[in-house]
Amino acid sequence: MTNHAILNTGDHGDLRVHTHADAALGDAAMAALAVPAEFRRLQGEYPILFKRDAESGAFSALALLGFENGENLFLQGDRWDAGYRPMSMAIQPFLIGRSESGEGQGQVHVDLDHPRISTSGEGTRVFDEDGKPTPYLERIAEMLGVLDESYRSSGDFFAALERYELLEPFTLEVPLSDGSKNSLVGFHIVDEAKLRTLDGDALADLHGNGHLFPIFMAMASLSQLSGLIARKDAKQARG
Amino acid sequence: MVHAMTDRIEQLVIVGGGTAGWLAACVMAARRPELAVTLVEAPDIPTIGVGEGSWPTLRETLRTIGIAEEDFLRECDGSFKQGSRFDGWTTGEDGDSYLHPFTPPPLASSVRDMIALLAGWREVAPDAPFAVAMTPQAVACARDLAPRQRAMPGFAGALNYGYHLDAGKFANLLKRHATTRLRVRHISDRVAGVIGTPEKIEALDLAQTGRLNGHFFIDCSGSRAIVIGGHMGAGWIDRSDVSLNDSALAVQVPVPTESPIASQTIGTAHEAGWLWDIALPRRRGIGCVYSSKFLADDRAEAILRDYIGAAVPDADLASLSPRKLSFATGYRGQFWKGNCLAVGQSAGFIEPLEASAIVMVELSLKALADNFPATEATLAIHADRFNALFRYRWERIVDFLKLHYVLSRRSEPYWLAQRDPAVVPQRLADQLALWREQPPSAWDFPQVDEVFSAASQQYVLYGMGFPVPEPAGEGATQQALSRLAEVRERSRALAAALPTNRSYIDALTNPPADAAAHGELARS
Repeated sequence: MTNHAILNTGDHGDLRVHTHADAALGDAAMAALAVPAEFRRLQGEYPILFKRDAESGAFSALALLGFENGENLFLQGDRWDAGYRPMSMAIQPFLIGRSESGEGQGQVHVDLDHPRISTSGEGTRVFDEDGKPTPYLERIAEMLGVLDESYRSSGDFFAALERYELLEPFTLEVPLSDGSKNSLVGFHIVDEAKLRTLDGDALADLHGNGHLFPIFMAMASLSQLSGLIARKDAKQARG
Repeated sequence: MVHAMTDRIEQLVIVGGGTAGWLAACVMAARRPELAVTLVEAPDIPTIGVGEGSWPTLRETLRTIGIAEEDFLRECDGSFKQGSRFDGWTTGEDGDSYLHPFTPPPLASSVRDMIALLAGWREVAPDAPFAVAMTPQAVACARDLAPRQRAMPGFAGALNYGYHLDAGKFANLLKRHATTRLRVRHISDRVAGVIGTPEKIEALDLAQTGRLNGHFFIDCSGSRAIVIGGHMGAGWIDRSDVSLNDSALAVQVPVPTESPIASQTIGTAHEAGWLWDIALPRRRGIGCVYSSKFLADDRAEAILRDYIGAAVPDADLASLSPRKLSFATGYRGQFWKGNCLAVGQSAGFIEPLEASAIVMVELSLKALADNFPATEATLAIHADRFNALFRYRWERIVDFLKLHYVLSRRSEPYWLAQRDPAVVPQRLADQLALWREQPPSAWDFPQVDEVFSAASQQYVLYGMGFPVPEPAGEGATQQALSRLAEVRERSRALAAALPTNRSYIDALTNPPADAAAHGELARS
């Protein structure tokens, strides 16, 4: 059972959150949920891949961080070695909560069992001494807003990708310099050949709905695969 | 010109342990590994242990000699020092307080920029103290916050900082480090005599071990100055004409383990001097500095006890027995004479108002290690340069400490005597005249490694209400206003992100249950 609460000054006036990167704080993940609104920032650091949920059949986007479960190749001790962290990770331990109907303004919730919740007096305050949000919480709230909005509208984005059959299955063999191989299966990427054949109406439709830009960003992000393989190789070499 | 091998300076002998001696041993052994370093320490001489506040320079020094920050903090009962707060210096009334933090104001690349910054402060936040307007460090100090998070790499900080430390434990840590890691030879023996001429020392005559040859000698024997004073006769320049205090009562006051740890040294003015208050995790070092001409010892002790009663309410006053120190203010006519250099109290002493003792040791060692004579041929050249530089530095300390007194408006006889124009150095008087027209700048302090930068002068000047120069033209520029806005934003961010000193030190000494947060679990 998770221990989520609506964030408020009364209960959380002295709350502090560990904000640095660390495997023990939940950062040891091979992928992070990504939303189209941040593809531009993500594509400079991470490969963006798509994955179909086996049950619902719905697609989602992921920033790839490693090649096996629990492997985050950007994590170096207590440092995240990239200029931008996927928002879905940067907002932890906070989340957006809504009423049952799912309508209306979201509220900032906090997962009080999350390892980022500090009990030692270290970490960053969420509210200042006067009960006002700190710059940290302001930043979190802003990210939560963008994340929520973009996640909720991403259904249209994936529907458009499917409508124009722009996703193709993707398998990657990761050859390492020690001769071993890792393979990455079960992901999709943008079908570049298909994209080239789209006519003006289709492109105008995608562009008019704001989908064309993230499509190109996702395509461009694949050039980060080689960087990620190099990180894996370096890690392997270190033992 | 080729020198014979015998001219080379290869054997370095340090006379005296304590903070100065062991720092000298560590720094010279680490930075000049080609030297054979020996330290002679009398077994029965207790160290004075007064220098318990450092400057930010100590971070670089510790890094250079290879001591990790967390080891240093743990072993020396250390805490962070982010500057000094001066209470009661301007008027002595309630609320009279200003901060001299280590983090400088936003960068002003010209005198004009600084004038614009000052105009911005007067325009936007005339009621905010200068330090609050100029650096986020003021907020951190007001809330007893640490200048860094534990997850940051050692010696890195969100704000500039030095340390408060237990000087006895520090000397022990340095001694162990020097002898086990840096191959410094330690001889526990008394110096019975010095062999050689007043221009060149050949050897020391040790009471038990006999003759100890050396090529270069560092005198860290404290106020006794057995080599530089006793043997070489390098005179003493007295500055008690300007610096009036000559006495101190010092005491250590235990504090409860959960009490807040202040982020700065607190210097509180009293009727004939001032009190220091240095917060370590388990005790506070508190002392009363005064002029014996203006204050009797028993009155000084009453002032000290009153302060402790108010500042440390649960202190057991009856159990405290303050130690009396008498000191002469001044410095060596020659710090470096022949093949001997004085470092520490043998080189000079002044009241610890801006904690200049340890930093002067560091600066001396930096100068020596950077400019170590390879042969005897250059000894005299190095000595002249060193002496000119350190005479300048001592005079700047005398000036800067005097600045704290001349800006006061207190009216007790002692304070009036401090401000008597006859005892204000001419250079300081000239600068005060200049600073009515333009703020302190690098034009006033042009040397390498100035002891007190223009920023320090500004914090004291404007902290004590010295008038801000009239801007000639437009006043606050857009650039100045945005720099001040950045300070306000950063103040908010850091107030949220930094732990209290107590939380930091507790987590360092007893890692809490969520220590996993700092990587231990991740690595195991």
